[in-house]
Amino acid sequence: MEETVSDAYGEPISAGATPHSGELTVQFDKGVDLARIESLLRQARERGGPSPETVSTLNLVSIHFSAAQYEKAREALEVAGTLHPCRLIALIADQGIEQESLTARISVVRSGGAITMERVVLSATGRAVRHLESGMMGLLRPDLPMVVVWGGRPQGDLLRRVVESADRIITDSGARPPSYLAETATLLVKGAPIGDLAWARIFPWQSLAADTLDVPDLREHRGNVRRARVVCAGAVGAEGLLLLGWLQSRIKRLEVEIHAEGEAEEEASSSMPVPRAARLGLGHVKLLEFVAPPATFTLRREKGVLISQVKGDDDGFCAHRTRLPPEMPGRLLALELKLLSGRDELYAQAVQAAAKLLAART
Amino acid sequence: MPYAPEHDEIPNPLRPGLRADSAPEPCAVVIFGASGDLAHRKLVPALYNLAVGAHLPAAFGIVGVSKSAYSHDEFAQDMREAVGRFSRTRPIDPEIWQDFAAGIRYVAGSFDDPDTFARLRAQLEELDRTRSTRSNRLYYFATPPSTFPTLLKQLKAAGMINSPFDTRFTRVVIEKPFGRDLPSARALNRLVLETCDERQVFRIDHYLGKETVQNLLVFRFANSIFEPIWNRRYVDQVQITAGEDLGIEGRGRYYEEAGILRDMIQNHVLQLVCLSALEPPVSFDADSVRDEKIKVLRAIETFDTPEQVARNVVLGQYAPGSVAGADVPGYQQEKEVAKGSRTPTFVAIRLNIRSWRWDGVPFYIRSGKRMPKRATEIAVHFRPVPHPLFGEGTTQPNVLIVRVQPEEGIALRFSAKVPGERFRPRTVSMDFRYGTTFAAASPEAYERLLLDAMRGDQTLFTRKDEVEAAWRIVGNILKVTESSEFPPPYPYPAGTWGPAAADELLAQDRRVWRRL
Repeated sequence: MEETVSDAYGEPISAGATPHSGELTVQFDKGVDLARIESLLRQARERGGPSPETVSTLNLVSIHFSAAQYEKAREALEVAGTLHPCRLIALIADQGIEQESLTARISVVRSGGAITMERVVLSATGRAVRHLESGMMGLLRPDLPMVVVWGGRPQGDLLRRVVESADRIITDSGARPPSYLAETATLLVKGAPIGDLAWARIFPWQSLAADTLDVPDLREHRGNVRRARVVCAGAVGAEGLLLLGWLQSRIKRLEVEIHAEGEAEEEASSSMPVPRAARLGLGHVKLLEFVAPPATFTLRREKGVLISQVKGDDDGFCAHRTRLPPEMPGRLLALELKLLSGRDELYAQAVQAAAKLLAART
Repeated sequence: MPYAPEHDEIPNPLRPGLRADSAPEPCAVVIFGASGDLAHRKLVPALYNLAVGAHLPAAFGIVGVSKSAYSHDEFAQDMREAVGRFSRTRPIDPEIWQDFAAGIRYVAGSFDDPDTFARLRAQLEELDRTRSTRSNRLYYFATPPSTFPTLLKQLKAAGMINSPFDTRFTRVVIEKPFGRDLPSARALNRLVLETCDERQVFRIDHYLGKETVQNLLVFRFANSIFEPIWNRRYVDQVQITAGEDLGIEGRGRYYEEAGILRDMIQNHVLQLVCLSALEPPVSFDADSVRDEKIKVLRAIETFDTPEQVARNVVLGQYAPGSVAGADVPGYQQEKEVAKGSRTPTFVAIRLNIRSWRWDGVPFYIRSGKRMPKRATEIAVHFRPVPHPLFGEGTTQPNVLIVRVQPEEGIALRFSAKVPGERFRPRTVSMDFRYGTTFAAASPEAYERLLLDAMRGDQTLFTRKDEVEAAWRIVGNILKVTESSEFPPPYPYPAGTWGPAAADELLAQDRRVWRRL
């Protein structure tokens, strides 16, 4: 495996920032004044006219360790949070700044005639970070599930209680070194309800692989898959390992191989009028091959299209193609938010298999 | 129809637990009537949007068939313009369009001519070679019903309909109206089933593709609080309205043949009745859901005598009037409508469902053209409280409203105390709006239905016995109302909710139509 451990893996949950107009800001001297925040939320709601409807299906809590990290994720959180109406509580714990401060920024997002997101951004620096956890707990809307988006790295016990009380924790292992999957595997064994944007990123590959084995003339090969190979762009990434892990967890005695080839695609221009498929990022999957002698199934990515080809089958060559979904900020997060609690068993099994694969390689 | 696996077939090890929907198998969609309105406004834009959403197999093609003379390129260009005008997603993505258009073909010819089908067959074989559509066919009859027998016979004669057990699927999508009365529907069903298996037939009713109509099933069977009160013990009446502000929009010839009963009641409105009234299906598969719908249709009391029809049915026809501030002509002033026409453009019906759950609860249905606004909804009116604790007439009964269009959503009307010292109740509304709660754009009904047909899922399509049961109800009414002895439809000014007789129908039961 090519061990390229770098922050450049995958993509952030989103890129870009939007203007922060319409935010109400309050600074606290001592702790978090929950009543004041609720009052400002009411004020923000009423700005749009009398009795606007508010809908919420979950508490979405995002955790960041710098303001810049939150800004990167802001647009994706807003889009996903609008698709899954919620109260968003963004926690920014910046211990890099010594001076103690605690502020809340309050705003709402409207869609049609209703408020589909209430947003509270709690920022703390210095020792004030200790107040974030209890502040967040007091701001949760009752009865709704709590999903935590964990975009940063754990720092000691900070915010651990938030994570532990979540119904679901969404990470992006594609934005971290692949070795992180071993840690995820350990947490999953303990029952942590983890979701992963890297997992959502490989849905089209899984779907196409399954579709290919559903083609009537190719079903005879289902019981005979022996080997699988994944090629990642630029470096081996979590997506490739998860894809292989998934195959290994589904097919007994499967021999697997993973390596990297070529380079990731450049960042696309942001001025495109029509959303395109996500770029082929560092560590992303560019080819999957599985062999069921005498047939070889090759699934490869060509720009925005996945193509599957079968060679060596008695019935001859056949191709199957599927377009990758257009990429928009928050799309993967919105996909993961379809599951609001509990564990995705398929993912858990894939991570365990991927972790074993990692261990064997090192 | 899903491919029938052999008994010893190994299950797909990669399929269990996948969260992404599977793409349909590679296939070619053949649109008969490709130069028509439906293909331009709905079908091709829907297929394009499925391509945009990455729901289509990339091994996919479209063959348009009609009499108009087009080359492949001209037809593709025509479809591009249609997509540009009518698509839900715009602007057109050139890259997706290029890929989509590469699979568009056209065959010009008469449906009576066997040569048309020989050329169609050759064209489909070419798509199999160049686009890998693998001999899977979805034939879409976007043509008048009079052409269905010819199309089926020609397809069969040309050997273009595979057995339902063939690994290469053949499916036929048939647009409404499916027959014009019970005998013709039965004859058409016989003909269809001589050519195809029921599992290959997809009788489309686009109302069933609407998100809110599907949501009705989720609302009823995914919530435990409504089911216990969803019966004659708690429900006083159900009102179903399907009103349009538009007139017949130049379709005089069609409408003179159809009228509101065939155009709306036999299909869309009775489907809404079924979904409101059905019992919980044993599972959410096509036949279980359709089995329950058919039970509702069979339980609806039919009107067998002119007296029963006169007592329970009111027909209307719009006269000149004003809709949304604009003067509009009456029905008889529309193009291709006969002077003195007796075709109804409005109907109100009182139905009774003779079942354990519903007997005695009237289902009032009304549908019409040139209503004050476009509104389709189901309103379930609950019984009033037994004792007016806060004063006579101070509270209104609860009403649960399922809005199908526009502003799709659900509202619950209930009483709340007006702030202040005295107990003064006021009716308030708790409103759930689909579009704002789930900001994701809903697919068009045709997108969902075309995708289901490609996947072989018949849940949202009507079955043979369902169509016939609906015709049994409507056919009996038509038999009476189309006789010269029955009085002509009541005129109503365009821009109103139908004739006064429709209000009287409810007034007999001391009820009124919900104000929309």
